Amino acid sequence: MSDVRRFQTAPFSMLVLMMKQQAGKLGLPLMNLLRLNGTPILQQLHLEEKLLRTSSDNWCIINDGTDTPAIVMGVSGKPSELLEVGPVLRDRIPVIRRFTGGGTVIVDSGTVFITLICNKDAVPGMQPYPRSIMSWSGLLYNEVFRGIGDFKLRENDYVFGERKFGGNAQSITKNRWIHHTSFLWDYAVGNMAYLKQPARAPKYRLGRDHTEFICRMKEYLPRSVFIEKTVESIESYFSVNPTNSEAIDASQGAEFVHSTMLLTRQELEEASASQLKTIGVSSV
Amino acid sequence: MLIGRRIWQQRPRTWSWRWSSGGTLMRLHSYRTSPQKPPILGFLSSDGAATIRTANNSFVDFSIPYMINKCSYTTHALADLSPSGIVDVPLAQTGEGIAECELLQWFVKEGDQVEEFQPLCEVQSDKATIEITSRYKGKVAQILYVPGNIVKVGETLLKMDVEGSIVSTLSSSDLESIKPPALETTELPGSELNKNTKGGTLSTPAVRNLAKLYGVELNDVHGSGKDGRVLKEDVLKYAVQKGIVEVPAVSVDSRAPLFGDEENGQYASAEVKWQPDDKTVPLRGFQRTMVKTMSMAAKVPHFHYVEEMNCDALVELKASFQNNNSDPNVKHTFLPILIKSLSMALSKYPFMNSCFNEESVEVILKGSHNIGIAMATSHGLAVPNIKNVQSLSILEITKELSRLQRLAKENKLSPVDIYGGTITLSNIGAIGGKFGSPLLNLPEVAIIAMGRIQKAAHFAEDGDVYPVSTMTVNIGADHRVLDGATVARFCNEWKQFIENPEFLMLHMR
Repeated sequence: MSDVRRFQTAPFSMLVLMMKQQAGKLGLPLMNLLRLNGTPILQQLHLEEKLLRTSSDNWCIINDGTDTPAIVMGVSGKPSELLEVGPVLRDRIPVIRRFTGGGTVIVDSGTVFITLICNKDAVPGMQPYPRSIMSWSGLLYNEVFRGIGDFKLRENDYVFGERKFGGNAQSITKNRWIHHTSFLWDYAVGNMAYLKQPARAPKYRLGRDHTEFICRMKEYLPRSVFIEKTVESIESYFSVNPTNSEAIDASQGAEFVHSTMLLTRQELEEASASQLKTIGVSSV
Repeated sequence: MLIGRRIWQQRPRTWSWRWSSGGTLMRLHSYRTSPQKPPILGFLSSDGAATIRTANNSFVDFSIPYMINKCSYTTHALADLSPSGIVDVPLAQTGEGIAECELLQWFVKEGDQVEEFQPLCEVQSDKATIEITSRYKGKVAQILYVPGNIVKVGETLLKMDVEGSIVSTLSSSDLESIKPPALETTELPGSELNKNTKGGTLSTPAVRNLAKLYGVELNDVHGSGKDGRVLKEDVLKYAVQKGIVEVPAVSVDSRAPLFGDEENGQYASAEVKWQPDDKTVPLRGFQRTMVKTMSMAAKVPHFHYVEEMNCDALVELKASFQNNNSDPNVKHTFLPILIKSLSMALSKYPFMNSCFNEESVEVILKGSHNIGIAMATSHGLAVPNIKNVQSLSILEITKELSRLQRLAKENKLSPVDIYGGTITLSNIGAIGGKFGSPLLNLPEVAIIAMGRIQKAAHFAEDGDVYPVSTMTVNIGADHRVLDGATVARFCNEWKQFIENPEFLMLHMR
């Protein structure tokens, strides 16, 4: 129980733990588990948005690495503010604007994506508000990392100590919510150079640059252990039902217009032009 | 939040801004255009005058000074409905401490008829995009913000004409079925929501993935490969024509093969923009693991500290456990007692139970004592660890050790058993030898090799010879983190517990 005290919303987490025990007696809600490997992030985001808006089931999607590096911005991300657009254009890195909020990440095969899509009352005692969902996810992952690292939910990030290894984003609709995380299992230092230091940053970042601020999960535990333990942790809230992509395609027949977009070269060039205008000298 | 909920439920019925059908947390007063109206209830942090900012001059500029008080009540109910039936709909609280949101898009426009619970707009606060649904049934009279504006919590988002509409109570509300919001069409070229049925288009999975990434419909691409096969270059050429991307002079980024587990050799080799990952070897390859770990360990500056322990008391204790043991499944040995006393000593010298991060030059003092036990199996050296020894009793340690030994023998140790160790014990003495000179089990900073417990001759004060059970231990330590003094003091502490196991009782809870 000492871990419960770590969280500022201690009374809430106590309630959740009590509810968990009760739920076990009553039967847990169903959650479909889809495991992907190397799926392109754009495809994953399209799938997630479709499931959020057109499905009425609970879902967990785990994509173990994406195939090619890509930059993914939040829903209102502006490339001129967030990226070093010159190098991005030069190196042909795809830039995607996703449908959830939050910040910018560069993802590649070293990124593990875990997404939870739930009905708003799927987790007993948890209200469908950003902070509640964030706190509950912190409890979920606290179980995963118990004894492995100094894990904390810090503001909106998952950290070991002072270093971030997981970033979160959410979208909350009328009756459902999505909480998805990109986990830095490993990363290439060179890739971080495509991202600017964001104007909006969590307080605990204290102005550190990327390499000082983030850390690699692979130094703490192997991928397979991480994924196994995450599924185990989810099983204490849901009755997990493994599924596959074919099953989804068959059931979700409705046409759906997604809002996650790949930015065109033209948009990036415009961003680059405006970026060069604002800063006289390019900076890295 | 729990407290907040109670307050909300006690409040009398007023106009309120329903966040979601079940949630009663987010009620705020809506306030009218007259400035004397009561404050906004709730967990707001902003106060002072609220001027509704407008994106362009076509909107009316309001100045509505108000004071925000936390947790105040109002009894103003429907009676406050202004004669015109226009209500101000504010941006409700979206979470503790969030003071403002960015408006992302409207789902309705001025003049639209809106049902209760119909989504009105989408905002972004911090990490979340949130759909805001209507509390009222009515008509959109005036929209006060445009996408991209920052709206403070509590400010009026839009005005609605609810004239003649009765605000329904909680109990009578029925949920509408989920409808996808009316989004602006932002389809990618060649929308790929239709599942790709290639219908004869030949291409590799890698090329298909690339096409999906660029939103290109493979059926539209001319294949220049054998039998009309669509190649990567064909997709890129097509994407150029569509203005998505340009074909680079050299081959494009492709994924570097991962871990050797991937069978996708079809990716054209290309410029690799990131470091290849370390290969993670599955459990079956103990031998292979050892090559890797020992090579790395050899690079660490080790020093070794040797000490002799008097094990008479330990021998006696073990005999006592075994003689009084009623459980045939449990076999008492020296190791659990050594493990527990090691944990006791680690509590006083946490640097011995740490990990060194070379890159950041940081030492992570581990909270849990996950003590690894080296085991020689027919498949090679395995080092599973007992988790959280600081919280386990000697009996629990005995059982857990036995479980791990059994699994190791059957080669059924799980990854969770193997990883997460913070310090290692190597009981090489079980096989033989006086003592060993162990190499570290990285990223740990200490490893302890224990020799066989042997009878040795010691001299008493008066010159008499007497036998003593002694065990030699050799502590290998990372000299980047630990110095001789720390290790020596730690060893003394551990020695105390081994030679005087009754001291363990001093710390018993």
